[in-house]
Amino acid sequence: MARSTSKDTQALFQSLRSAYAATPTNLKIIDLYVTFAIFTALIQIVYMAIVGSFPFNSFLSGVLSCVGTAVLAVCLRIQVNKENKEFKDLPPERAFADFVLCNLVLHLVIMNFIG
Amino acid sequence: MAKLFVTLILLLPLLCNCFSSENPTDRRILVLLDDLGIKSSHSIFFRSLQSRGFELDFKLADDKKITLQRYGQYLYDGLILFSPTVERFGGSLDLSAVMDFVDSGHDLIVAADVSASDLIRDIATECGVDFDEDPAAMVIDHTSYVVSETEGDHTLIASDDFIQSDVILGSKKIEAPVLFQGIGHSLNAANNLVLKVLSASSSAYSAKPGAKLSSPPSLTGSAISLVSVVQARNNARILISGSLALFSNRFYRSDVQKAGSSTRHEKSGNEQFVTELSKWVFHERGHLKAVNVRHHKVGETDEPAMYRINDDLEYSIEIYEWSGKSWQPYVADDVQVQFYMMSPYVLKTLSTDQKGRYFTSFKVPDVYGVFQFKVEYQKLGYTSLSLSKQIPVRPFRHNEYERFITTAFPYYGASFSTMAGFFVFSVVYLYNK
Repeated sequence: MARSTSKDTQALFQSLRSAYAATPTNLKIIDLYVTFAIFTALIQIVYMAIVGSFPFNSFLSGVLSCVGTAVLAVCLRIQVNKENKEFKDLPPERAFADFVLCNLVLHLVIMNFIG
Repeated sequence: MAKLFVTLILLLPLLCNCFSSENPTDRRILVLLDDLGIKSSHSIFFRSLQSRGFELDFKLADDKKITLQRYGQYLYDGLILFSPTVERFGGSLDLSAVMDFVDSGHDLIVAADVSASDLIRDIATECGVDFDEDPAAMVIDHTSYVVSETEGDHTLIASDDFIQSDVILGSKKIEAPVLFQGIGHSLNAANNLVLKVLSASSSAYSAKPGAKLSSPPSLTGSAISLVSVVQARNNARILISGSLALFSNRFYRSDVQKAGSSTRHEKSGNEQFVTELSKWVFHERGHLKAVNVRHHKVGETDEPAMYRINDDLEYSIEIYEWSGKSWQPYVADDVQVQFYMMSPYVLKTLSTDQKGRYFTSFKVPDVYGVFQFKVEYQKLGYTSLSLSKQIPVRPFRHNEYERFITTAFPYYGASFSTMAGFFVFSVVYLYNK
């Protein structure tokens, strides 16, 4: 029974991997960026758990910059993905321009709040 | 003529030398007596008071014209009750009038004796002292009585069990024992304002002299107090003695030989004891005042309206003691100040410059709120000082922190790396084929 479940998980992972290899490159680049942002956020949370939350506004600002840019990248991915019927008529350049503007606003706020 | 008139008018304020906060010693004292013979049999005591500047007003205890106050002002600063057998005072004086007199900060000397009336006993009970309930009981001591030619019933006793206090009894030690013949009283253990100044020896008891005792006496040993004082919270001082003869000329002049000891003192300690004690009761000694409370930040001189946490501040106060004629600097090493908000965050002993100024400096604690500088000083025999001054303490303003906080460097680094990552990502995304 255990052997069949481990074989099932292996088969699951193989199918996920092969499906993912089929995605276009630009989406893969966005995914890489999102993982980088989330990873940075996780490092900051672990640091706060160790040291304590003394300048709480700096902590919030650091974590929020990572999480915010990840969220914006996910929005970009949704709008740029050709398989999405909802955004068929949206030009990808427009999506990217939105992404850049929102990130600028985000980082302006972060710089102010970090103290 | 006009000049003389003007000079006389200008001198009028000097005639008002009554009790005031600048001159705390009492001036006018009403003395109530059972009979005028007491005036002559206790003349040494009265003369010593008058020579110290007191004005004594003698009246019989049932004199109809006795009045302590007129139009709301008290006419006297002190009251001496040498009338142990009076049932009712004359005039407008009664138990509640005497208690109001003490409650308004004035001093009282009460002498009870054998067959003391209920009124005198009630006055003593209101002050915190309980006389023996048996009206015929006296203090008897079969080992500390006074040796005399006539075989007495050992009610005339000699006691040298004094309270240890230089303020109350003077700095000079009283060598001879004090003669006492009268009733004893006990103090309520829960009352912390009343003090035993002269206690009986451990072999004393309170009973009817000459009678056979059917049950053990209720008051025995050194729980019996012969003379007690009370210092009330408003600094009124009360002296309660169980013997009127303690103050008499006869006891002052008498020689003393205690039973069981071979030393014979030429003069009893009564005169020195009563004189020193009356100096304390009428505020000629042990009266403190605290003035000039100041606090400021280290390095500045004016008092700020608010402190910030982790400030360094200095606190100073001046304390003087009344010497009977003038204010002298008070020197002690146990005056403390508290920086108090619900509980003392800082408690420091003040150092003195020996001229009456007490000062200290400390750092404001890391807590903000409304604090008080509190000085609560209660020393045996001295007036109690209770001062408090309120001061708020604020936290740091947002621009009083360090510019770049070291513990926040990872967060600074993370946000800059996110910005760099965003820039790199957009370049890669745009130019990706």
